[in-house]
Amino acid sequence: MTTPSYPCPYCAAPFGSHEALKAHVVAGHGAEPLPKPHGLIALTVNGERHEHTVEPNTTLYTLIHDRMGLTGAKMFCDRGACGSCTVIMDGRPVLSCMTLAIECDGKTVETIEGVAAAKHPLIETYVKHHCMQCGYCTPGFVVTAKALLDKNPDPTEEEIREALAGNLCRCGTYPQHPRAVTEAAGLLQGGRHEKG
Amino acid sequence: MKNFGHVNAATLEEAVSALRRYGNRAAVIAGGTDLLGKMKDEVLPAYPEALINIKTIPGLDFIRYEGGTLSIGALTRLEDIATNDAVRNGHAALAEAAHRTASTHLREMGTIGGNICQDIRCWYYRNPQNRFPCLRKGGGRCYAIDGDNRYHSIFGGSVEKGCYAVHPSDTAPALVALDATITTTRRAIRAEDFFQVSAAKTTVLEDDEIVSRIDLPPLVGKSAFVKFALRKAIDFPIVNCAAAIGLSRGKVRSARICLNAVHVKPYRAVKAEEAIIGKAIDEAGVESSAAAAVAGAKPMSHNAYMVPIAKAMVKRALLGCK
Amino acid sequence: MKKDDRERIVAPEHTVRADKYPLDDYTAVGKRVRRKDGYEKASGYAVYASDIQIPGMLHQKILTCPYPNARIAAIDTTRAEALPGVRAVLRYDDPELPPKADLSGHFGQAGQPHEPVLDRCGYWQGMPMGVAVAADTEEIAREALKLVRIEWEARPFNLDPVEALKAGAPLTNPESYPDGNFLLPFMHEKKVTHGDADKGFREAEQTIEFGMRRDQDTWVGPERPCGIFRWNGEYPEVWLKHQRPHLAKRQLAQFFKVGMSQVTVHCPYQGGSFGGWSQMALNMQPNVIAGILSKRTGRPVRWQFSRREDFCGAGMDNARYRVKVGFKNNGEITALHATSWFSREGLSHTDHFVENSKVINIIQESNGAICNIFTGWAIRCEQNMNCYCFSAVMNHVAEALKMDPTELALINDGCEGHAMADIAEWKRKRGFEDRDSLRECIKAGKKAMDWDAKWHLPGMKKLPSGRMHGLGMSWAHEWGDSGGSAAIGIRIERDDGTARVLGLRCDNGVCAETAYCQIAADELGFRYEDVEYRPFEEAGFAPMTPDSSTNLAVNGWAIRNAARRLKQKILEVASLPRVTERPEMGYIPPFEGYRPEDLDVRESRVFVKKDPSKSISMAELVRPAFFMGKMDVGSTEPLFAWGWQNQQGAYDISGPPGPRPIFVRQAHFVEVEVDPETGGIEVTRVTNANDVGKAVNPDAVEGQQYGGSVMGVSRVRTEEVVYCPATGVVLNGNLIDYKINTMLDCGLIDTIIVETAMGYGPYGSVGIGEDVASVVPFAFYAAVHNAIGKWVDLPATPDKVLKALGKVQEAK
Ligand code: SF4
Ligand code: FES
Ligand code: FES
Repeated sequence: MTTPSYPCPYCAAPFGSHEALKAHVVAGHGAEPLPKPHGLIALTVNGERHEHTVEPNTTLYTLIHDRMGLTGAKMFCDRGACGSCTVIMDGRPVLSCMTLAIECDGKTVETIEGVAAAKHPLIETYVKHHCMQCGYCTPGFVVTAKALLDKNPDPTEEEIREALAGNLCRCGTYPQHPRAVTEAAGLLQGGRHEKG
Repeated sequence: MKNFGHVNAATLEEAVSALRRYGNRAAVIAGGTDLLGKMKDEVLPAYPEALINIKTIPGLDFIRYEGGTLSIGALTRLEDIATNDAVRNGHAALAEAAHRTASTHLREMGTIGGNICQDIRCWYYRNPQNRFPCLRKGGGRCYAIDGDNRYHSIFGGSVEKGCYAVHPSDTAPALVALDATITTTRRAIRAEDFFQVSAAKTTVLEDDEIVSRIDLPPLVGKSAFVKFALRKAIDFPIVNCAAAIGLSRGKVRSARICLNAVHVKPYRAVKAEEAIIGKAIDEAGVESSAAAAVAGAKPMSHNAYMVPIAKAMVKRALLGCK
Repeated sequence: MKKDDRERIVAPEHTVRADKYPLDDYTAVGKRVRRKDGYEKASGYAVYASDIQIPGMLHQKILTCPYPNARIAAIDTTRAEALPGVRAVLRYDDPELPPKADLSGHFGQAGQPHEPVLDRCGYWQGMPMGVAVAADTEEIAREALKLVRIEWEARPFNLDPVEALKAGAPLTNPESYPDGNFLLPFMHEKKVTHGDADKGFREAEQTIEFGMRRDQDTWVGPERPCGIFRWNGEYPEVWLKHQRPHLAKRQLAQFFKVGMSQVTVHCPYQGGSFGGWSQMALNMQPNVIAGILSKRTGRPVRWQFSRREDFCGAGMDNARYRVKVGFKNNGEITALHATSWFSREGLSHTDHFVENSKVINIIQESNGAICNIFTGWAIRCEQNMNCYCFSAVMNHVAEALKMDPTELALINDGCEGHAMADIAEWKRKRGFEDRDSLRECIKAGKKAMDWDAKWHLPGMKKLPSGRMHGLGMSWAHEWGDSGGSAAIGIRIERDDGTARVLGLRCDNGVCAETAYCQIAADELGFRYEDVEYRPFEEAGFAPMTPDSSTNLAVNGWAIRNAARRLKQKILEVASLPRVTERPEMGYIPPFEGYRPEDLDVRESRVFVKKDPSKSISMAELVRPAFFMGKMDVGSTEPLFAWGWQNQQGAYDISGPPGPRPIFVRQAHFVEVEVDPETGGIEVTRVTNANDVGKAVNPDAVEGQQYGGSVMGVSRVRTEEVVYCPATGVVLNGNLIDYKINTMLDCGLIDTIIVETAMGYGPYGSVGIGEDVASVVPFAFYAAVHNAIGKWVDLPATPDKVLKALGKVQEAK
C-alpha cells in the first residue's frame, strides 16, 4: 500500500505522515501547524497504518474494496441490509457500505483478509462445514463471527444465530454456520490459535 | 452517492452552529444507517449540502443509573443498550426494543438518538430518485391512499395534511411507555410529545436542534416490548408494542401502553390503559384492553390485517408485564 | 484397447441403463473431502467479476424506464454529453444499433423474441432502455442520465394477466404485440392433452375444483450482474458474471461480427445465479452496449446493475390457476383439468403428473397475457409451476379424502400413466436394482420428523402456545435437466504429475468443481489432493453450463470419460517404449516389458498389479519431461485427454419421450406453527429426503438441501415483488423491503440422502440443485393448510393468513 509522502512546504523535506510533517513545521520552522487537508484520514487496516485522501461520499467499502484492493468485503445489498460488506471497526462488526470513509480517521479496521492472515480457525472450520456455496456472502459471515468470538469466546448456538442474523445468504447456507463457529470457538479455547 | 460537504463537530455547540450555517440544507449524521440509505437513493427533492458528523463529540455515549433514573447518551449504540444488564433489569422494554431492532451490525452502528429521529419507511416516499413527489415532500398528493398501503397507518393520517406513513422505530414506543424525557440542545421534551408530525417531519426537532440524552424515570413495576415483523432480523415492525405496568396486589395500578408502526407517530393506547387499570393481567383483562386499543382503528384499503395484529401485540405486551 | 474398454469410456447410452462400470472402491467419490473452493471463498480471496477493475475503465449506466409502459416521444441528450467526465452517450436512435438483435442467452437463436439493443419504449418500470452513458465514474454516468431531457408518452398498463386478457384492456406492448396482449406459453402448446380426461372424470368417484394463486418473487442473487468489455484492437476481451460464459461468447461474437475464436471471455467465481438473469437478453444488453462504447472511447467499459436495477432480473410468473381433479375413494387420481393464467413465460404446470405419477388423463390449458411487469424467468428451476400444481392437486385430494398425503403419494406414484409394478419391470430390464425410491424417501423422512405421531387432519391441532400446528408434504421425481453436451479436459502437469482439470469456470455454488475432482481422482487412481479444477477459458472446453441444472448428470460423464482415457494413456506411457527414427529421442518406459493392462494407478502411483511393490509415483513418471543432459532418457508425451458427453434428457415431455423414465424420487416435509392472532407463520422444521442415486459429494448434496429449504420457504413465506397498483412502479426493489429469510427465520433442516443408484449420471447419480427449492415451497403450502384448515395463496403473508381465518374486516 502506498503511503503518501508529505513534503515540507518550507524546506521540502519529505515526511511519511501528516502528523510528522506538522510536528516538523512547528519545531523546525516555528510556523503555525498546518491545517489538516480535508479528507485526509489515517487508519489502521489489518494492523497496518494507512493514509488516504477521500471524498466525503467515499464509503469505507469503496476505500477498502476498490482502492486498497481488499476485495474480500462484498457488496450484496448496498443498503445496510445484508452484512456481506462487514468489517470490524474498533471491535464492532460494522457495514462498510454504510460507513463514510471520512469518518474512519483514527479507526482500527480488520477485514476478512486480516482474519485470514491471522490464521483464525474460523476459516478452516468454515471450509470443513461447507458454510459456503457461491461464497459471495461468506467473508461477511466470517468477519461477523470473528467479531462475535472476540467479544464472546464461548457463544451458545442461539447467540451465534442472533449474531449472524444480519448476514443474508441467498444460497441458504444458514444451518451450517453455527457448527463452524462453535468448532472455531472450541479451537480458540483449546489455545490452538495465536491471538493475532 | 452524490457528494456533499462534511463537518466533524467537536462539540454540540459546534454542531449546532454548523447546522445554522447551512440552514435546512445540512443533515446530522450519527450511525448513518438511515441517512445514507436515503442519500444513496436520493429520495428527497433536495440533497443535503453537508453532513454534520456528531460521532466526534465526546461524552454522548453513556448508560448510567442514578437513583433508579436511567440516563442514556444520544450516541449510545443500540447494541450496548440491548446487552446492558442493568437496562435489561431496570427498563426491560427498552433493552428488548433495542435488541429487536434491525440486526447486530445495524445495532452496533445505530445510536439511540438516531433511532428515534429516523425517517419514515413509506415505500412511495423512499422510492429512489424522488419517484413520488408526495405530500410529505411538499408535493400534491399521498400516493399510498390509492396505492399499496399494506404497511401504512391504521389510525388515520397526520393531523395537518394527511400523510399515512407510520413511525418505524422499535425503541420509540418503549421510550413513550417508559415516559422518557428527551433532552436536546434546546430543551427537554417528554417522549410522547417528541414525536409530533408536521407535513414533513417525524419529530418536533427544529432544523438546528440535536438530541443529546434520554432520561428514563425509575420504573415501579414491569415493562415489556413485543414486535411482529415478517422476519426475525433486519426488519421493521409491522406492529410493535411496549407496555409499562405498575401492579399492586395483583391489580394494575398504573399503565402506559404504546403501539408503533400503526400510526404516523408512536400511538399511545390511552383507552387500553384505562381498560386495564384496576384489573388483573389475565386473559380477560388483556383481551378487553387490547380491544379498546384498536377500537378507533380506521384501516386503509390494504392494511386491515394490522388491526388484529395490533390487538395481539397489546395483549402480549401486557402479558409480558405479568 | 479392447472393445469393452472402449465402451467403458465413451458408451453413449450410459443414461439409459444402470451404470455397468461403477468403481470397486471409492476413495474420493462419496467421501467428505476438503472442498476445492473452500479456502478461497472463506478467506475473501475468491475473485468475482465485480471485484475486477481494469486500468482506465469507464463506467456505464443505462436509463431505466420510470413508467410501466411508456415511449420516448422526444429526447435531448446535449446536457448529458456536455457534463464533464462523460465520454460517450449512446441513444436508441444511434445508426450503429441494429433494429433487432438476438441477445437471448438460453436457447440461442430460437424461442425468444428478438429485441432492440436499446429500446425506445419501456414495458415495465425499471426496464433498461433509451440511453446509455459511459463516464469516468459511476456517479457521473448517473448524473448524466438525469440531465437527459425526455418527453415521455406514458401509456396505460396491465399488471394482472386475467385483467390484461379482458376486452378493452390497454395494450401492454403496442410495438411488438399490436393485436392484443395474448401470449403463447413457452415451450408448449396452449392446450395440451394426455390420455382421455373425459373418461377419467367419468371414472372418478369424487371431483373437486379449486383456484390458487402465486404472486411474483424474484431471484436477488448476491452478486449483481456486471461485466467489463475491452477491445484489444480487433479482439474483444470480456469479464462477465454469467452462468453460461460460452453462450455469452457466441452472442458477443455474433453481434460484433467477429469469430468466436477472436473473443476472450473470463468468467470468474459467481455470486449466485439460480438461473434467471443469465438466460435473458437483458443480461447481454449491457455487455453489447459496453462493447460499442468501449470501441468508441478506446477504453474498457464496466457496467454493473444497482440492486434496484437488478430486481427485474427474474421473477417467476405471477400465475393464477383453476384446477379440477377427479379421483377414486381409494385415492387414485383419474383425471385432471388445470388451467393457468400467466404473465410471462407460462411454463408447463402438469408435466409432473406424466413424469412422476400414474395420472395420465390430463388437460392443461395456459392463458398467457403479456403484462407490464418485469421479465419472468426461472429461478432455481423452471419446474416451479409444475411443483405448485402437482403438490396442490395431491394435497387437495388428500384433504377431500381426509387421507394422509404420504399415503396418497404412494398410491399415485408412477410414470407415464404406469403404476409402480410396470416400472419395476422397466428397471429390471435396464439393469437397475428394483428399489422403490419414493417409498424409501417417504419412510426415511417420516421417521426423521416423527410424522406418524404428529400428523393430524387440517386445522385440528392447537399447541399450548396457542399456535396452530401444521405438517405438509410434497414429492417429485428428480427432473434435473438431464440432457446436454459437455466437454472437459484433464492434463497431467509435466513436472510433478499432478492433474489439472481444464474447463470453463464451473462454479455456481453447488461445489461442482470439487465433485469433478473427486470423480477424476478416483477414475485416475490419483489422490484427491493431486487433482485440481482451475478454470481455464482458453482451453475452450465448455462443460455443460455451470448453472446447476445439468452439472453432474452430464459433466460427470464427461470428466469420467476424460479420466478413463487419460488413465489408459498413463498406463501406455508407463509401459510401452516409444520407438523413433532417432534412437536417442526414443523413450524407455519405467515398466519396460509390461503391458498397460498389467499396471494400475492408485494413490497417484503407477504399479504392477501382480507385484504392487513395483511402483513409481506420477511425478517420477513424468519427471523426464524436462530433458536435461542425459539424452538416454526420453520425455513422456504430453499426458492429456478430453472427455465428451452428449446425452438426451432422461425425460422430455415437450419432445418425444426420452430414453427412459425417471426412477428416483424425493419427498419433502415441512412443519409449521401458525399464529392465529397475527397470521405469522414460523417454519419449525423442513425434512428433505432426496434419492440422489449416488452422492458423489455428500456435503454438496446437503448444501443443496439446506439451500433449497431456506430459499424454498423464503420465496413463499415472505418474498413478493410489490407493484403499485395505481402506478405500476415497483415499491420494494431493495433488500430491506423485499424480504429474504434470515438465519433466524429457518427452523431445523434435516438432510436425508437416499442412494439407489437409479439416476442417469455416473454411478447412478442425479443432480439435486433445482429440486429442493422448487418442491419445498409447496410442502409449505400444504403445511399452512394443515395448520389452519384453509388454503392460503402464496406468498402466505400475514394479511392472507388472517383473511383466510376470517379475522380481517374488509376496509370500506
Ligand atoms: S404516506 Fe406520506 S410519505 Fe407515503 S406517499 Fe403518502 S404522503 Fe408520502
Ligand atoms: S452490502 Fe453492505 S450491508 Fe449489504
Ligand atoms: S453462499 Fe451464496 S449467498 Fe451465501
